[in-house]
Amino acid sequence: MNGLRRLWSSVAFRLALNYGALVVVTMAVILSLFYWQTVGVLQHRIDQHISVTGQRLVFTWQREGADSLVQDIRDTLRDGMNTDTEIYLLLDAAGAKRVGNILPLVLPRAATREVVEMRTVRDGRVTDARLRAYDLPDGGRLLVGSDLQHQREIEGLIGSAIGWGAVVALLMTVGGALVFRQELEMRIAGIRRTIVGIEAGDLSRRIPISSQEDEFARLNREINGMLDRLEQLMDGVRHVSNTIAHNLRTPLTRILLGLRATQHMPNADQGEGLRQAARDIEELSVIFDKLLGIAEVESGARRQVFEPVALAALVAGMVEFYEPVAEEQGAIIASVIEPGLAAAGDRDLLAGALANLLDNALKYGGSGARVAVSAFTRGPWACLVVEDDGPGVDAADLERIGTRFFRVDRDLPGFGLGLASVSAVVRLHGGTLRFADAAPGLEVTIALPRA
Amino acid sequence: MHRCLIVEDDARNALYIANGLKELGYHCSVAPDGVEGLSRAMSEPWDIVVLDRMLPHDVDGLSIVTTLRSLGKNTPVLVLSALSALDERVRGLKAGGDDYLTKPFAFSELAARIAALVRRAQPGEVRQEMALADLRLNLLARSAERGGVPLQLQPREFRLLAYLMAHAGQVVTRTMLLEAVWDYRFDPNTNVIDVHISRLRNKVDRGHAQPLIHTVRGVGYALAVDLPDAAR
Repeated sequence: MNGLRRLWSSVAFRLALNYGALVVVTMAVILSLFYWQTVGVLQHRIDQHISVTGQRLVFTWQREGADSLVQDIRDTLRDGMNTDTEIYLLLDAAGAKRVGNILPLVLPRAATREVVEMRTVRDGRVTDARLRAYDLPDGGRLLVGSDLQHQREIEGLIGSAIGWGAVVALLMTVGGALVFRQELEMRIAGIRRTIVGIEAGDLSRRIPISSQEDEFARLNREINGMLDRLEQLMDGVRHVSNTIAHNLRTPLTRILLGLRATQHMPNADQGEGLRQAARDIEELSVIFDKLLGIAEVESGARRQVFEPVALAALVAGMVEFYEPVAEEQGAIIASVIEPGLAAAGDRDLLAGALANLLDNALKYGGSGARVAVSAFTRGPWACLVVEDDGPGVDAADLERIGTRFFRVDRDLPGFGLGLASVSAVVRLHGGTLRFADAAPGLEVTIALPRA
Repeated sequence: MHRCLIVEDDARNALYIANGLKELGYHCSVAPDGVEGLSRAMSEPWDIVVLDRMLPHDVDGLSIVTTLRSLGKNTPVLVLSALSALDERVRGLKAGGDDYLTKPFAFSELAARIAALVRRAQPGEVRQEMALADLRLNLLARSAERGGVPLQLQPREFRLLAYLMAHAGQVVTRTMLLEAVWDYRFDPNTNVIDVHISRLRNKVDRGHAQPLIHTVRGVGYALAVDLPDAAR
């Protein structure tokens, strides 16, 4: 019972079985049509034979008289042809039997117009027969018919053949369903084994791909592709967590060592140590805030508050905001801004991103730097470009800037989170961030979908 | 002495805030949940309510603000929250909060904002003229002079000075300045605001024996004759 239920719970088995049932029903319909057609043709031929014989005998009576007819019937019954099926009966006007091989019987009136089926007694044996009656001008009656015994046997043969066929078809259907299920189960087993392995934590498992180029091979390849991507992402996450852990542990260790050292100092000297610890913790908290900020942007939650942002005004405002900083270090910010430039987005995030770029440009450009800011339309994009004339970034490092904690110059102050944050903001806006060698210096381009 | 109600379920955090504010001369009470918070906010006079958004039993602190406002209480409310998304901030302010601060925050930032809120709530006519020592500011004419000599200020510098003037004697943080004067809400490189202040200082304080713009280390700035106590 349990096994049956399990079998039924197999989709392959159910599919095959349902399909088999469909085939069986179709076959049944076709075979019954075949049966009725065959039987119908046989009966039609019998009826035709009866009519032809009857007319011939009536013609014999008209031309040669009753005695000749009697003789004819006797001859026919004795000639050894169809003797086991043919039925003749000639009655005189009084209804008495003159010649024939069945007992006299009463026929319905319809029998004079068409062949009817009746139960008769022929040669002492009860049998079904097709019969037709002809009334003769002298008041007598001629019955011509055919015993249906053979017909019945043939019908039985065809019927049982169909029956056995149905049984065999049913067995084959069930067997086929089992085989089908087995085959499908075998193909799926590979997928299942792999998934179980992955669930257990082994992300490197892949589904073996058979040489057959079928639906399963394609499905397996697609699943493997998905697993590759998943593993890649997991590696990325692991890398990020490792980097974060490393970058947080270092200052934590420094703070801890500092505090331990302070502990052993005379009370009067502890103040400076504590102040240093507080400063270090504040710095750590800044790193935390920045990481959380990036995570928040990456979560996409802020996309809900997107609205049209006047980029032209924003860029002009940020340039003005940074101008005093530039002047302080003898640098110049030159800007070319297309009026009316706008994009859908979060004004504060975009301002923060631009601030990061300007910060970097001034930081790496150093004193006397020339920073060029431009904002313009290019196709469907609103582009913001910040270019400095600092030392620039090695081609090898161009790929890596923008990842968390990566810093081109570790001697300059910073956490290596600025461009990572810019990158997250740009991604959130569905834009692209591109770094290029400005020879000298770095050119950063933000392209945002135009509003 | 200003009275401060702290509605916060985290006892340590509440104690930390309360102790800090006591040192600054506030009289503090702590309500550990929303029900007590609301009833005390309604029944006693307060100068400021510091309200955590996430309270026990899934009470949203904002509903307390909304209730207070609908009952006609105009006590300044500063909302604390771990939810930092911009729309959360906007919701906090829309609900009737007067300011919004995201956890984790520096205590100095909280203190500066509380001081600004308490000050703002003090009754007083809208002034067109403000003065501190020999520094005078006319908001209507958008002009400033020190010791009778007009100061040549850029529009942005004027706004910066006006904000400092409106909060004279208090510490204002860099974030507060960025929000109020530039209307930006992002984490600035501290250096940028410092440079703006230093330019303003050049125009206001240069050549005067008495400096008015003070730097409060690690916190921000204050416009005052003497560095305020809170900043020492």
